[in-house]
Amino acid sequence: MAAIAAVFAVQAAAGAGPVLAFPLYLTVILLTALQLSRTESLVTAGLAAVAILIPPFVEGDLPGNMVSALLLAVVLMAAAVAITGVVRRVRETAARAQRHTDDIAASEERLRMMLEAAMVGLALVDAEGRWVQVNERLGMILGRHRDELLHLPIEEVTAENDRAVLGEALALLRSGDIVRWEAELNQIRGDGTRVPVAIAIGTAPGHIPGETLLLVQESDISARKRLDGLRDCLVAVRRVIVGGATWEQAVPQLLSSLCAYLDLDLAQFWAADPDRQALRVRHYWHRDPEGFEIFREHSRAAAIPMGFGLLGRVWQSGVVAALENLSEANDYSSSDVARAAGLKSVIAIPVVDSGVVIGVIELLAGHPRSIEDDEVTMLSTVGVEIGQFIRRSDTTQALRRSEADHRAIFERSPIGIVRISGEGDLVEANPVLLAMLEYDFETMRGSAWPALLRAYDQAASRQRLAPLLAGITSGGSVQVRAGTGGGKWLWLQLTATSIPDSSGRPEHLLVMIEDVTAVRETSDQLAEALESQRGANANLEKLDRTKTEFLSIVSHEFRTALTGIQGFSELIRDGGLEPDEVRAYGGYIFNDADRINRLIGDMLDLDRMESGRMSIRTGDVDINEVLSEAMTRAGTSASTVEFKGDLDPRLPIVVGDRDRLIQVVSNLVNNAIKYSPDGGTVTLSTRAEGGYALVSVTDTGLGIPPDEIGHVFERFRRVRSGAAQSIPGTGLGLTIVKQIVEMHGGKIWVESAVGHGSAFHFTVPLVAENVTPLQRRHA
Amino acid sequence: MPEEADTGATGPFTVLVADDNDVAQRLCRRVLEKAGYQVLIAADGLQAVEVALNQHPSMILMDVAMPGIDGLEAMRRIKAELPEMPIVIASAHSMASDRERFLAAGADNVLSKPFRLADLVAIVAKLALDRK
Repeated sequence: MAAIAAVFAVQAAAGAGPVLAFPLYLTVILLTALQLSRTESLVTAGLAAVAILIPPFVEGDLPGNMVSALLLAVVLMAAAVAITGVVRRVRETAARAQRHTDDIAASEERLRMMLEAAMVGLALVDAEGRWVQVNERLGMILGRHRDELLHLPIEEVTAENDRAVLGEALALLRSGDIVRWEAELNQIRGDGTRVPVAIAIGTAPGHIPGETLLLVQESDISARKRLDGLRDCLVAVRRVIVGGATWEQAVPQLLSSLCAYLDLDLAQFWAADPDRQALRVRHYWHRDPEGFEIFREHSRAAAIPMGFGLLGRVWQSGVVAALENLSEANDYSSSDVARAAGLKSVIAIPVVDSGVVIGVIELLAGHPRSIEDDEVTMLSTVGVEIGQFIRRSDTTQALRRSEADHRAIFERSPIGIVRISGEGDLVEANPVLLAMLEYDFETMRGSAWPALLRAYDQAASRQRLAPLLAGITSGGSVQVRAGTGGGKWLWLQLTATSIPDSSGRPEHLLVMIEDVTAVRETSDQLAEALESQRGANANLEKLDRTKTEFLSIVSHEFRTALTGIQGFSELIRDGGLEPDEVRAYGGYIFNDADRINRLIGDMLDLDRMESGRMSIRTGDVDINEVLSEAMTRAGTSASTVEFKGDLDPRLPIVVGDRDRLIQVVSNLVNNAIKYSPDGGTVTLSTRAEGGYALVSVTDTGLGIPPDEIGHVFERFRRVRSGAAQSIPGTGLGLTIVKQIVEMHGGKIWVESAVGHGSAFHFTVPLVAENVTPLQRRHA
Repeated sequence: MPEEADTGATGPFTVLVADDNDVAQRLCRRVLEKAGYQVLIAADGLQAVEVALNQHPSMILMDVAMPGIDGLEAMRRIKAELPEMPIVIASAHSMASDRERFLAAGADNVLSKPFRLADLVAIVAKLALDRK
């Protein structure tokens, strides 16, 4: 309608001429064609053609005008048809394009819907690893809004320890080395918690060349992970528990297993005090080597009372408890220190034995961590199993310790110990014994022990003790002599104890074997020392007795001599005597005084000789002459004895002290006379023999008993037995004689037989040099 | 003389001096004879026993250290036959213990050598007096 109005408006305005109106009509037709339908355009074109024709007809002008108007109308119509055709074509094309676009939009919508509705997280990341497109599910998995994600690189939302491997994978994908990568890793949710995901990254198909797009597919595997973790955790804990280790050995493995399978960083075992006053840290484990020192120190110093804080509550209640986020917790005793150490969450598991909480396992993580019901169940089970394990371990350990103690006694005892069977076979020998006897065990069992057993039985039978295998109940000891592998001989003291079986028969025997060689030797030495001491004492006593005897003898001799001296001098003093009497008595007095003088001289001589103060005066001495003189002198006083001389005329002159040698000879001669109370023959002989002058004084008198012959030269010793008992003497004569002979470098000895007489022999060196050292010594 | 000796209490008072030392023999004989006693001499123990048993002296003055049997043995043998025989031991063994030893062995008195002549005479005189 507007077009028709426009035609009439144009007609009215262009009353001037059709040529002027034509472009206007054309414009209207074009507009109509564009704006309105094709029919309207054609109608408008028809109207415009009529309008062009009308003026010439009305005015009836020139036929030429009519023709041109008609031409204009035809052109107009043709143009209108053409325009509408074009417009229609264009319209159709546009409509077709619109339909296509709608189809694409619908398809995309469907795809998007599918993407959004997918149960897996899907996303595209660009070459830099930034999220380009993210589906709803992925946002849910990562706990973040999609828009938030679009600003982050994929690595940013991945747990720190998984970033490296992810980065590598992305690089490989970008370079085209691989087209697809799959892994399981942890990603960080918007609230900071971690979520385990199965991730697959592939080169996006049909992407525009030059632009790298990667298709990321993720699914939340936390449920599976947790279940797997729980199962594996329980398996790991049980494996440790049944592994035969002691509690002390097993603790680090238990704590590390719990941490590994539950994705935790630090674990501590708190044990309840025996008096149940407090929990104290006994064991500690953490994943990383550093960063927890302060926390650890804090724990070490801590004593947590029952009911106090999370641990105290768990101890009290026996129920697993957790704090998901320490930054919000205020009843965790170590929260400040834990936070400072970067720990974010804690789980506490009661360790229960026979219904009693004996400790608490504290598990900490460096990230917030919630705890699910199934975890609580599993951890409760773990707590009970660990509790039973601790008790078993304690019992086992106590047994082992007891066994170890006994073993140590056996192994390290300073005495040898063997265990032998009821049949007498060596079952076990401790190292001390093997070292003591210098045998290896096989030799010990094969030969050394049977020998020792025989020696034991022999020694036991001597002591009237039972043989070893007869069943010894109380340790009777025997000492045996035994050779070692090294060829030594030891004294061993064996003490046996039998250990009966239930029926009372000796099941096996323990024999303790001590090396008492030193003791034996010491006691032997002691006995020897005692014996020699006893001997010395006896000698002292004997010496004491002989001294007393000597004193008695000396005083007897003196008093006997003094009896005459005193008595006769008293007679002389009292007067009234004949001159003959006085003379005779004076003679008795003189003789006895002389005898006393000799006795005193002997004693002094001996004393000087024994103390080394006597010197000998050397000179030439004719031994034969000395003997002849002695015979002559003795012959005048002893009437009952016959003297015989057997002097070697070729005997050289010796060098010596003549007076002393005379003393020797006269002493021997006097003895010979004294001990020949029934008379007999005294023979004096000389002989040169081997550089010595040998002098012998032989009598046929009483002789010297064999038990006394060894002592005749000892001081104060006199033969007092039998017929000789009353023969007086000082007991010094032979002692002096021996001293003098030895001072000359000679020797003196005696041969004798009771009833046949005695022969005293002495030597004097013929060479003067031999005298010199003695002379010098005694000078 | 044996007859006289047998009676003991009659006749002269006889002293047997048993001593191996001739000086002592001489001294005792001289002193006792001078004092009016008869003196017999024995030079050893066996002789002393023989003389004592055969001649029954009034008393015996007995030395101890003599050859053969000593004075104590001689005294024992004599006392076995003649328990009443007074025997005085005159010994140069003159320690205190010796005196006890001799008395215990049966001696009637002990005279230590050397002795004062007056002591010898007094001991004999006392025994002579006892006999009466």
